[in-house]
Amino acid sequence: MRIAAGVDVGSTQTKAVVMADNGDRTILARSLVDTGANVRKAAESAFLLACHNAEIQPTDVGFVVGTGYGRYNISFGNAQLTEISCHARGAHFVCPTTRTVIDMGGQDAKAISVGSDGQVLDFVMNDKCAAGTGRFLANAADVMGIGLDEIGPLSQRSTRPVRIATVCTVFVESDILSYLAQGKKGEDIMAGVHLAIAKRTLSLARRVPIEPDITITGGVARNIGMVRALEEVLGTKMQVSPDAHFMGAIGAAVFALEKMDQSFESSTWRPEHAAGSGH
Amino acid sequence: MRLVAGIDCGSGFTKAVLVAQNGFPGSSILGKGRAKSGINMDAAALAALQEALRDAGLSRDQVHYVATTGFGRYSVGFRDIQITEITSGARGAHYLFPSSRCVLDVGGQSTRAMTMGESGKVRTFKTNDKCAAGSGMFVVRAAKYLEIPLEDVGGLSLHATNPQPISSVCAVLAESEIINHVSAGVSVENILRGIHDSLAERAVGMLKRVGMQSEVTLIGGVALQAGMVKALEEKLGAKVNVPPDCDYVCALGAALLGHKRLAIKESLASVRQVS
Repeated sequence: MRIAAGVDVGSTQTKAVVMADNGDRTILARSLVDTGANVRKAAESAFLLACHNAEIQPTDVGFVVGTGYGRYNISFGNAQLTEISCHARGAHFVCPTTRTVIDMGGQDAKAISVGSDGQVLDFVMNDKCAAGTGRFLANAADVMGIGLDEIGPLSQRSTRPVRIATVCTVFVESDILSYLAQGKKGEDIMAGVHLAIAKRTLSLARRVPIEPDITITGGVARNIGMVRALEEVLGTKMQVSPDAHFMGAIGAAVFALEKMDQSFESSTWRPEHAAGSGH
Repeated sequence: MRLVAGIDCGSGFTKAVLVAQNGFPGSSILGKGRAKSGINMDAAALAALQEALRDAGLSRDQVHYVATTGFGRYSVGFRDIQITEITSGARGAHYLFPSSRCVLDVGGQSTRAMTMGESGKVRTFKTNDKCAAGSGMFVVRAAKYLEIPLEDVGGLSLHATNPQPISSVCAVLAESEIINHVSAGVSVENILRGIHDSLAERAVGMLKRVGMQSEVTLIGGVALQAGMVKALEEKLGAKVNVPPDCDYVCALGAALLGHKRLAIKESLASVRQVS
């Protein structure tokens, strides 16, 4: 049995996936840790935790591919790939009919046009602004004084979403406060916020051809309010996998299995890497 | 003596000044006061006005006219007139620096650049309407993250030896850059100066778009930060005018325009009486 891993070092959270190939590729285990300030350590922790969850030794892993913004900080990785390739590949692995990926992560939002083999045809990303990212939603939740996990379900109870004209994280903060002062309901405010971000994401995604099926990836996919708002503005259902958050790491693991075939290099994981990693 | 209050309802703070006019052209500021804006702009305006009245040793019934300006100007129930912060900022700056033809106003959530004619009338202006990039909120958030009181930011920034660049496009994403700098061991001084450089770059871009002319006057709360003034002067390659009460300039401008309006109103009333 050949085993490989993908580690997606995101701006906010680091995800690792361990994958096995017995003729059929299956996910053995996943792990999720906060990235924090020490990116290298987060990558190691996520990798070791995924190995632990899979009940294998780190040395059993034949190849590791790193992705995400902190990918070059992975001390034990055999190769690095952009998160764009990995999200496309991961979405294709989980849902082979994917032709468009909308990735909403902690600090970036992307739309990727995907070919029938999971290859990237085109992509666009936010490079100037935090609108449509997890950061934006975390901020909105903070202002409302509720948990990030609560804003999606809350927005689903709305009957009359408020109008939010701006998508600047800072301005939306004041908008939320003034709506609260006017006595608007929390669910209507949050529904308005989600709708504003969905529209903004749609205008980003329109710059690549949006073809069905559309798969949402990234941590924001866990927010049901965001998913429904996006579906509303897109006018179509999206593929929402329970693994949406891990899609980059899954794609990286698929690439790692493929690269294993082309490489005789064994795992670069050595026990000394574990020193000080807390595992 | 006619007494006019100018109240600038900004996104962060509400500022009030009391201006008396004892015949043309002399005007004098008798008192000033400020309050945190919060969500009830009307209450904040009243609190700022009361502080200004205490400062001047005057009472509410001595105020003849109230002119409001700023983002919350329509929320003040007891106003007589409202004026945009662009008009009032230009007027206030013109009063303090009559030869200045260009004003940069860096506030809590907005940055504005104006050019004006000889009389202080606005000719052209640009403002950030879409997002908070380049506004004071950038500094507020950074200070909060770095756990530094806002009033210390300007002085610390002056002591930077090796400013670290911070992108000027998004106040929220810039926070991550700050976190990276902190974890890389960059000193607070160098980070803060990087933020001021980033704001200054954004501001200079805006000044160029309005057709910058020599002698720029910097107003707004962010002008209180010495590091910002230095960053802007370095980017422009010239000195800028910074009035001592730079955060009260819009309130002053509103009061001056209020006086003008009051005078017109009174002369119209007297014409009607005669006819």
